[in-house]
Amino acid sequence: MSQIEQELFQRLSDAVVDMDEDEAVAAANEVVERGIDAYRAIELGLSAGMERAGQLFDEEEYFIPELLMCSDAMYAGMDVLKPHLRSDGVSEKHKVVIGVVEGDTHDIGKNLVKIMLETSGFDVTDLGRDIPPARFVETAKEIGANIIALSTLMTTTMEGMGAVVRQLSEEGIRDRFKVIVGGGPISQGFADRIGADGYAVNAADAIRLARSLVAPAEAAA
Amino acid sequence: MSLSPKERLLDTLAKKKVDRPPVVCTGGMMNAAIVDVMNRTGHTLPEGHFRSDLMAELATDVNQDTGFENFGIPFCMTVEAEVLGSEIDFGTLACEPKIAREPFATNAQVQFRDIDKLLDSGRIRQVAEAALLLSRSNPDVPVIGSITGPVSTAASIVDPMNFLKELHKKREDSHRVLDYVSDFLISFARLLVDGGASAICIGDPTATGEILGPRMFQEYAVTYLNKVIDGIHATGVPVLVHICGEMKAVKSSIPQLHSDAISTDAFVNLKALKEEYPQLTTMGNLSTFLLELGEPDKVSRHTAGLVRDGIDIISPACGLSTASSILNIQAMTQTVKDGGRGW
Repeated sequence: MSQIEQELFQRLSDAVVDMDEDEAVAAANEVVERGIDAYRAIELGLSAGMERAGQLFDEEEYFIPELLMCSDAMYAGMDVLKPHLRSDGVSEKHKVVIGVVEGDTHDIGKNLVKIMLETSGFDVTDLGRDIPPARFVETAKEIGANIIALSTLMTTTMEGMGAVVRQLSEEGIRDRFKVIVGGGPISQGFADRIGADGYAVNAADAIRLARSLVAPAEAAA
Repeated sequence: MSLSPKERLLDTLAKKKVDRPPVVCTGGMMNAAIVDVMNRTGHTLPEGHFRSDLMAELATDVNQDTGFENFGIPFCMTVEAEVLGSEIDFGTLACEPKIAREPFATNAQVQFRDIDKLLDSGRIRQVAEAALLLSRSNPDVPVIGSITGPVSTAASIVDPMNFLKELHKKREDSHRVLDYVSDFLISFARLLVDGGASAICIGDPTATGEILGPRMFQEYAVTYLNKVIDGIHATGVPVLVHICGEMKAVKSSIPQLHSDAISTDAFVNLKALKEEYPQLTTMGNLSTFLLELGEPDKVSRHTAGLVRDGIDIISPACGLSTASSILNIQAMTQTVKDGGRGW
């Protein structure tokens, strides 16, 4: 890596950690002007910065407002770099369908997980909030998802998660998808009870979980 | 002479010595109108969110069936946001109302309306009227009026993602909206007090250490919770505050709240909190999972543990599932009434 590349990647990463959208855009523009590979700038600059932000979140240095602003800086840089991605250099991404289950409209947690998944290289389809079980299943089939990620904050709506797993089983396609669950009232015990493949306690943990769930498939392929 | 439920609660909040802790469920975020109760009495939600007579009847059913020693109204956290312009999905018998859409994308777009007019709209008067009906029919039972805290109310009218970012980016806008929301909440709470509410409980689930972190919690949550608490104290009634989630990151801010009691989530060790800050009146914090999925014996054992730990007011730790079993709730309230003995 040339020194100038290294400097620019570091600036992108710092801009994300410092929640500085303008700086992220400026550094991204410089990447484009100098003809530096956009994919590497995203991976080694913006994503690396988001990973550092996620670590600060894990360490309780950053909280949700900070993480959201970091992600704004990341997306601002991404918007500049995306048109310059060479499609041949980009490998097929793992696909995730994410949403808040029916009956609940609290989506801060879901949005965080979505951001962190996108930063980590997943292709995320966000259904939004208040989503009936059948829509998760339909969309997952439609896009050939690897993972279905379900979120809720309310105890009254937790059973919607079980309904998704049941529908997959009834249609005989349970083994085609990994189902992961999270949100305030959710626990590992609950995840086990409804037959989900995993539970994550927060956004950073969700990324570790998603990566570990798609890893064996990759090794087999 | 034994204390009436109202005397016991008010004495506890005034730090006077009482025979045993009260056992309450405040309404609002901690709504105890569970399916078991509604199915028995036929006084049901969502209808009970709209009519003062039904609201009072359902609150009475809850008081009689569960053994909680108060009336808790309203049964949701959307009364405030509705009046401030949000679209509400009123839910079903088993599912509480929620915000369907926030009307403002940013704090700068919030329309500041005349507070007296706000008080005449939505369900504000119905809730105040229900407080009046309840306080008149049962003067010995405290009516707890529940309101949604300032941070949660603001994040229910402004897109929550933008709201959280603007706490950093656009602090003046954030303060202006929170100040407006707080003024409105004080006026709403005063109407409930005029109607006969003995205490006001503020639930502010967006204002948690986990979401905001210590700096934002201090700058916004403490400031505006205290503004609302002070405004209610001016009417002479005590104020309870419920803090959701893990509290570690913001623990040192808690004694700065002006409230008369602090209620916490199940993860918080209330006994340890009390040891660290003996000046706090603690409330809580029986696991709502236990109430939904546990057995009465286990509920009684855990409840007795809270009583033994010297928790001042016994209450569920968070919003109850509407599928909670009536037998579990009765086990909880009866154990407190027996003084936690036998376990």
